[in-house]
Amino acid sequence: MQRQSAARLGPLLLLLLLPLAWGKGPSPPRAAEELQVSNRLAGQAARVALHYLNYRLGSPSALRALGQVRKATLKTIPGIGHKYYLQFTTEDYKSSLNVGTCLATVFYLKRKPRPAVNINCTYTKDQKQIREDDYSFYKKMRQQTKPIIGNDIPDSYGNIEPALEPAWALAVAGSSYLMWEKSTENLGYFMAQVKNVKQWITKDDSIDFDYSVVLHEIPTQEMISCHLRVIWTPGHPLKVKYFCLSENQWSESEEGSGTESGSTNGIFNEKEAHF
Amino acid sequence: MFLANPSNMRLILFFSALAGAAWCLETFAGDQVLRVKASSEEEINKLQLLETLEHLQLDFWRRPSNPELPVDIRVPFPSLQAVKVFLESHHIEYSILLEDLQVLIEEEKQEMINNQRRERGTSNFNYGAYHPLDSIYAALDDLAAEYPSLVSKQTIGESYEKRPMYILKFSTGGTNRPAIWLDAGIHSREWVTQATALWTAKKIASEYGSNPSITSLLNRMDIFLLVVTNPDGYAFTHTNNRMWRKTRSKISGSLCVGVDPNRNWDAGFGGPGASTNPCSESYHGPSANSEVEVKNVVNFIKSHGKIQAFLTLHSYSQLLLFPFGYKCTNPADYNELDAVGKAAASALASLHGTTYKVGTICSTIYQASGGSIDWSYDYGIKYSFAFELRDTGRYGFLLPASQIIPTAEETWLGLLKIMEHVRDNQ
Repeated sequence: MQRQSAARLGPLLLLLLLPLAWGKGPSPPRAAEELQVSNRLAGQAARVALHYLNYRLGSPSALRALGQVRKATLKTIPGIGHKYYLQFTTEDYKSSLNVGTCLATVFYLKRKPRPAVNINCTYTKDQKQIREDDYSFYKKMRQQTKPIIGNDIPDSYGNIEPALEPAWALAVAGSSYLMWEKSTENLGYFMAQVKNVKQWITKDDSIDFDYSVVLHEIPTQEMISCHLRVIWTPGHPLKVKYFCLSENQWSESEEGSGTESGSTNGIFNEKEAHF
Repeated sequence: MFLANPSNMRLILFFSALAGAAWCLETFAGDQVLRVKASSEEEINKLQLLETLEHLQLDFWRRPSNPELPVDIRVPFPSLQAVKVFLESHHIEYSILLEDLQVLIEEEKQEMINNQRRERGTSNFNYGAYHPLDSIYAALDDLAAEYPSLVSKQTIGESYEKRPMYILKFSTGGTNRPAIWLDAGIHSREWVTQATALWTAKKIASEYGSNPSITSLLNRMDIFLLVVTNPDGYAFTHTNNRMWRKTRSKISGSLCVGVDPNRNWDAGFGGPGASTNPCSESYHGPSANSEVEVKNVVNFIKSHGKIQAFLTLHSYSQLLLFPFGYKCTNPADYNELDAVGKAAASALASLHGTTYKVGTICSTIYQASGGSIDWSYDYGIKYSFAFELRDTGRYGFLLPASQIIPTAEETWLGLLKIMEHVRDNQ
């Protein structure tokens, strides 16, 4: 009897011991790996999250820049992609003053063209002031009989003509859409300069701008030229069309809320997120 | 109207004799300016005749027209005697307005130089502005002139387009003392680096003797400063393309120009993080040290033989980096370099709150082969650091000039921290 059960046990035992025999063998999906706050991929992911936020907020007066990464975690999902969990501070784009903290996930998917972003931020900047600033820019542009035009913003010496500053800020917002779309885990972008801005006088409620922008691509160091068409009404999603010189087709923003690629609303309810 | 009378014939003969003389008009030595008062139409005619005699090389500052107005003539030295004889023999009144033109010109030139130097003078040079290459080079001269016992200007070679590569040597004496190397502007579009380096030069020069730290350092060590490592690129950013990064060397077999000088060093050359495409911004070039700008620095460092620290300035990102970039493994001196880097970043932040991240190139910025501080470290210069100055992307390369001095001031604190460590650990 015993000899019979031992015989059946044998192969079972072997099976259990196989992983040891192979050595390391195939590993299960890794648990979240904490990254150093100075890790460049963490910073890059935070920037992608902010591109998405700046585009979705669609407000030249509410643009944010990255402050400091406070916490970063990376989860690798084999065959699917890399998901970053981030906590970072933000600064007002113009004044550099701290304007709040954000929690975000940035999911670089192997099969999708652009990173999926979830971001939730605190606001310390006065919302009323933001709306007023946006509206006063909007009103001024609506009142133009001659279209606003400009070149090289900032110029070689870093100057931005005060009259053109809001148009520059709108270019940053519009470029944010494009930079979010183009970003990958390893390729990041900054808007280096507005080479050209030209306003289209519209008959409807929107203000409409044509931009030529130059993006700085990291780590390749290339300067990418893109054309942007930005159509904006305060309180409405930005409408952005773009065409970069290395590509051969126009890309457009969606009319909807873009929930499939990310969201800025809702409670952060990822169980695995430890912050 | 020219009348063929005997007196005129004499004129022609007389002056023709002088035609064979050799004119050496490079200077105005001995030239005089004569003021001639013609008192009749006839005399005017004679002066007009004089004008036609080209071999005299007369330069009429005021031409003969009517007897009411004086005629001013610059007479070259070789023609002086002939002209005076002519005027005197025809009883035409004249006086010497300017006795020796060259002397006057020399005096004027010197005055201009003094004025410019006074005007520009290192105390009036605007360190808070971006300057074209010529102005920067003039400022180097001014520094050497203003602090002659401390600062001297040397050349380490020429760029591809034959522009001189000037370094400033800060030395209180000795022979071939151990030294610190600092360079800026290897990537020409990073304008805040050349501006910071120039400010730093002034800072070092003016603080020697009053700042105990820099004084003790310079009493033991020399400092070499290369303000514009890539002058061809820098000139190009002013004339053609503000965003130009590379050198301006022609690449055989390609329409594209330029090599990334910070991928061209002999450290993991041709490895990851550098491009093989000549049209790329990070093209590493046909071979290590193919770029004369890089070669000149390498030659200088090697022939000096006692460089203890290799520091280089870039922008932007606010990072303080040490090797390696060509491989993602830590250098043997990781702990020390990290500690020094952190101390330097802390000192830097103490001034305006500007935060820097510290780490190896590979982990902090990206993997990049053929970089200068990797080469210097592998060559044996332990204290090899690269700064990426302001900002973090808002203005990027187009940093407003108003941020030059704050950037330079805070960077100085970081540099000083590193240099003090080098001084104390020789």
